[in-house]
Amino acid sequence: SLVDMGFTDTQAEQIYEAVCKVRGGSTAKHALSTLAALFVLGLSPSSVLKLLQKCPQLYTVKESQLQQRIENLRKLGLVESLQRVVAYYPQILTVPMKTVKTVVVFLREKCLFTVQQVTDILRDSPAIVLEDLGQLEYKFQPQYVYFRMGVKQAEMVKSRLFRFTLEDVRCRHCFLERRGLYQTPDKKGQTTIANPILDSILSANQDTFLTAVAKASPEEYEVFQRLIAREWQGQEYGIIEADSD
Amino acid sequence: EKWAATHPKYPPTSLALQHFDATYSVQLGKMWPSVRVALLSERKYGALLNNFSHDAVLADLQEKGCRDFINDADTEAQPCLEQVSEEESGDVPVKKSDSDGQQLSPPQLSPNIPQLSPNIKCVVFPRGDITRFKPARPDTYRLLGYYLLDAASVLPCLALNVQEGHNVLDLCAAPGGKTLALLQTQAIRFLCVNDTSVSRTLRLRKVLQSYVPKEFLTDENIRITSFDGTRWGDIERNSFDRALVDVPCTTDRHSLMEDDNNIFSKTRTGERRRLPQVQLALLLAGIEATCPGGEIMYSTCTLSQIQNLSVVEQAIHLAREKHGIHLEVVDLQPFTHMFRKTFHFAPDLHLGGNNSSRVKVSCIFCGH
Ligand SMILES: C[S@@+](CC[C@H](N)C(=O)[O-])C[C@H]1O[C@@H](n2cnc3c(N)ncnc32)[C@H](O)[C@@H]1O
Repeated sequence: SLVDMGFTDTQAEQIYEAVCKVRGGSTAKHALSTLAALFVLGLSPSSVLKLLQKCPQLYTVKESQLQQRIENLRKLGLVESLQRVVAYYPQILTVPMKTVKTVVVFLREKCLFTVQQVTDILRDSPAIVLEDLGQLEYKFQPQYVYFRMGVKQAEMVKSRLFRFTLEDVRCRHCFLERRGLYQTPDKKGQTTIANPILDSILSANQDTFLTAVAKASPEEYEVFQRLIAREWQGQEYGIIEADSD
Repeated sequence: EKWAATHPKYPPTSLALQHFDATYSVQLGKMWPSVRVALLSERKYGALLNNFSHDAVLADLQEKGCRDFINDADTEAQPCLEQVSEEESGDVPVKKSDSDGQQLSPPQLSPNIPQLSPNIKCVVFPRGDITRFKPARPDTYRLLGYYLLDAASVLPCLALNVQEGHNVLDLCAAPGGKTLALLQTQAIRFLCVNDTSVSRTLRLRKVLQSYVPKEFLTDENIRITSFDGTRWGDIERNSFDRALVDVPCTTDRHSLMEDDNNIFSKTRTGERRRLPQVQLALLLAGIEATCPGGEIMYSTCTLSQIQNLSVVEQAIHLAREKHGIHLEVVDLQPFTHMFRKTFHFAPDLHLGGNNSSRVKVSCIFCGH
């Protein structure tokens, strides 16, 4: 029973209620196997409860599928970090293996990330597996950063690029570029000014970005964001179109 | 990389940017990045209201959130007036005196603050509001309600300080935005409109026809010509109370945004290098055409010191040396102060040499 698994009475009650709320005939059976699988990952009862509250769909995943998915993630290099990734982003176990594979192939073949880099991306930005690749967002993000900003894969991984939307990346980059503080490197990878590193552009909160990197006022950036959003509405992602296939 | 291959190596727009980066980063220092991003992003338009239109355009636009920045100007005297000495007082950039240097400043004007024509109205959306204007619509008489332009373009027309009954010369007038603003004053006795380009003059005629009723466009009111403005001094000397010299220049914003018809394209290098000479010749022609006591306004849409300050300096010098015309440069700081809510102005420019007065050339760029 749930109490035998280590849940308190109240926790067991909460789980029971949650399972009843999720529709589907065989839910109860899957629920137990799901719980077992999560314990095998080394998660404590309280974190299991927490992540199931975040992602109740997990109750409905078949045991065999769940095992396969976990195994697949391990193969992709998420070994020690798997427990943390699942706790932080349990949705990753609801994604079919095929989808994860497509994302990985895309990252490896289209974006030229190494095996280790792909592992790091999955660890730092697991949400990437839920993105529909047909959508432009993730398809173009590494290309934008690579071609427009001249940033190499290793630096993309280090600055956790996939945690930011393409919109954010583009907006900050274009602001810097138009202020004369960022240049696309030429064929030899050279620029006439020293570009700020990607991490300093992305990771800072807006205030720090403005004072430390862009050296601009919040008012100026605020108006710029609205202007550029309208500018982009009228355009395709034209700049990188040539590389999209 | 493919990215590089999809673009010509040095399109005129990027040549322009390189050029501006080199010159303006020195000239404007810390301000350059903000000016740069403003130049490279969509401009902010103003709607110059057409008083000849019968529609209630002003009320309409006000309802949409616009305000008339001229009516709204801060007319209080600015705190730093004490810096301006007696001799430097004046109202517009260049004032022509008698050859003996006697000053003829109109007594009715308060020192340093030009009178703004109550009839020129230009509305903008508030600071930070990026709403666009819709194209103007014709009224029942087929006259359009407003003309869209960079709001800063109205400033030289205001600073020209046109008074009732004046004869006015608009030396480089096409496509006619400033001509329209001048006509809005409804104070001009005779307006002389010129532009060397025949095709652009045609466009100007069309603009005037869409905004001004026929009865205001008779031979008694207005004359439209396509002469080379640099020769104006030979044609008509000492004839005008006011002259607007809105010269061709590197048109900074256009040069950064459009590769077509770009003055920075390789084939136009010679033309671009000659600009300061042409500008000087045009300003001198405007000076010669103006009568003693008259006022001349020199304006550009570039931030370049060589095309602004240097041209004015040389014109003042040459006018005195070659033609015996003494000019007084007018400090525009009180004027610009009135509009500081709406515009960012270039930093103070100092005229060198033995001329002690300060000038603020109307190279006024519009911030966000
Ligand atoms: C900045 S534009 C004038 C804009 C106009 N004042 C307006 O507000 O719409 C400069 C004009 O100078 C004209 N131009 C160039 N050289 C000239 C010359 N030598 N004499 C007269 N006009 C000239 C050009 O054809 C161009 O139309």
